[in-house]
Amino acid sequence: MTSNTKSESINDFLKEKKKYVDISEFDSHFFDDIERRSKILTCIQCGTCSASCESGRWTALKTRIIIRKLILGDLSVLKDPDIWLCTTCYNCYERCPRDVRPTDVIIELRNYASKLGNIHPVHRKVVDYLKATGHAVPINDKIKQMRKELDMEEIPPTLYKFKDEENSDLTRYAKELFNLVPPKGEKEENKDTNKDKEKKA
Amino acid sequence: MVQDKKYAFYLGCIMPNRYPAIEKSTRYVMEKLGYELLDMERAACCPAPGVLRSFDKEDWMVAAARNICIAEKMDVDLITVCNGCFGTLQEVNLRLHEDEALREKVNEKLKLLGDYEFKATIEVKHVAALLSIDIGPTEIQEHLVRKLNATTAIHYGCHFLKPSHVRQIDSPEDPTILEDFVEALGIKSLNFKQKYTCCGAGGGIKAAYADTSMTILSEKMKHISEVNPDFILDVCPFCHLQFESGQDWLKKNHNINYDIPVFHLSQITAYCMGMDEKYMGLQYQNNGKKYELTPIEVQAND
Ligand code: SF4
Ligand code: SF4
Repeated sequence: MTSNTKSESINDFLKEKKKYVDISEFDSHFFDDIERRSKILTCIQCGTCSASCESGRWTALKTRIIIRKLILGDLSVLKDPDIWLCTTCYNCYERCPRDVRPTDVIIELRNYASKLGNIHPVHRKVVDYLKATGHAVPINDKIKQMRKELDMEEIPPTLYKFKDEENSDLTRYAKELFNLVPPKGEKEENKDTNKDKEKKA
Repeated sequence: MVQDKKYAFYLGCIMPNRYPAIEKSTRYVMEKLGYELLDMERAACCPAPGVLRSFDKEDWMVAAARNICIAEKMDVDLITVCNGCFGTLQEVNLRLHEDEALREKVNEKLKLLGDYEFKATIEVKHVAALLSIDIGPTEIQEHLVRKLNATTAIHYGCHFLKPSHVRQIDSPEDPTILEDFVEALGIKSLNFKQKYTCCGAGGGIKAAYADTSMTILSEKMKHISEVNPDFILDVCPFCHLQFESGQDWLKKNHNINYDIPVFHLSQITAYCMGMDEKYMGLQYQNNGKKYELTPIEVQAND
């Protein structure tokens, strides 16, 4: 991995995640970061991404415009609920003639949006499940019964089965990974705009 | 060198916790083909490439590496049945194989999670690639007890083949491996409009924006229903869940009842290799319960 920032030698997997309270705290490094990984400046605005978009056919997601805004340094993309409508189908990634890899850019933007606390409440719940069980989709009684009827082990040998071990892996997993920035006041507003968009879609 | 004819069986979340019959079928298929599947104790969510990677891709990578380490310790390659799990694990595995500096950073964080160190010794495989390429349509015929006289709408899903330069399995715009494979099972694959589009489940949309997700699926179901297949065939429990819950949603919200059964490639292959029908688990699914399998017994050729 090449790096053009001062923090070159720092292990960004370990360091305390920088929390951004407000959009004004983003500096130009934000764009450098994305450009370094995804070469957004080579975009020729051809629109192949939007034309291929599985989500954009039905929603307000306009991939080309998101890339355009990014190039222009428009930080409003971080608050834009549309970035959460991408299904990660990778059509744009495959077809972009400049290899901008828009899917990766969107994931990158979502990571930054998350640092602002802009995460859908339902998505926060997925993380809660993950921390409580090691699974984004946990087991339930109905499935345990089904597994028995299929002559299988009632509980699969995943992290969940070993949750009660002393100093369990699950405890450490939950402590070290996916510690989300708590929600902020403006979150509610975002939710509503998105609901409207869905209705239109 | 990893051990031959053995795989670490990576379960993920949706297969063991929603569609255990897919797990049952996969175990059956692999065993009959002469592979041993080893349990990956303490494995966790892959983590999901759409939803969880969106919050923190560093943590996503570390958590994925942790799963791969469990298989590395057993000295066997890892196998998964899910496009999402494959998407995450194959990509992270590849990147950590190629980038030593990145590996070091990940390993430092892994220490906090227990006795884990990524050593870059194994490969990550999708069961659909193992069946359709490694075994292939010719060799599989030697293992068949029966074929199925049926038609199907094949759904590849997105993360099995894309990004294609990472996956290197088949063309994402015009793949043929699954069509060729099911043909060997006697099944006719039908062409339908916009066959390779997304099911609409990925990227965290299904959880947070269910209506949008279902709108994408509805279009897909419309095109599938036009060719009237006996069943839908997928290679991913998440797509599987989407096809099942999507048909329920259409029934409830739009009074459209397609009632088409949905099978994972493992379920169909297991049946053709002799597994009892009840283990395919159609009785636990919501659609196509009335579907009757139409087997053609295969003469033993020895
Ligand atoms: S397809 Fe690529 S080059 Fe064309 S507008 Fe989209 S990101 Fe830019
Ligand atoms: S990956 Fe996302 S942005 Fe790109 S085409 Fe698919 S849904 Fe659209």
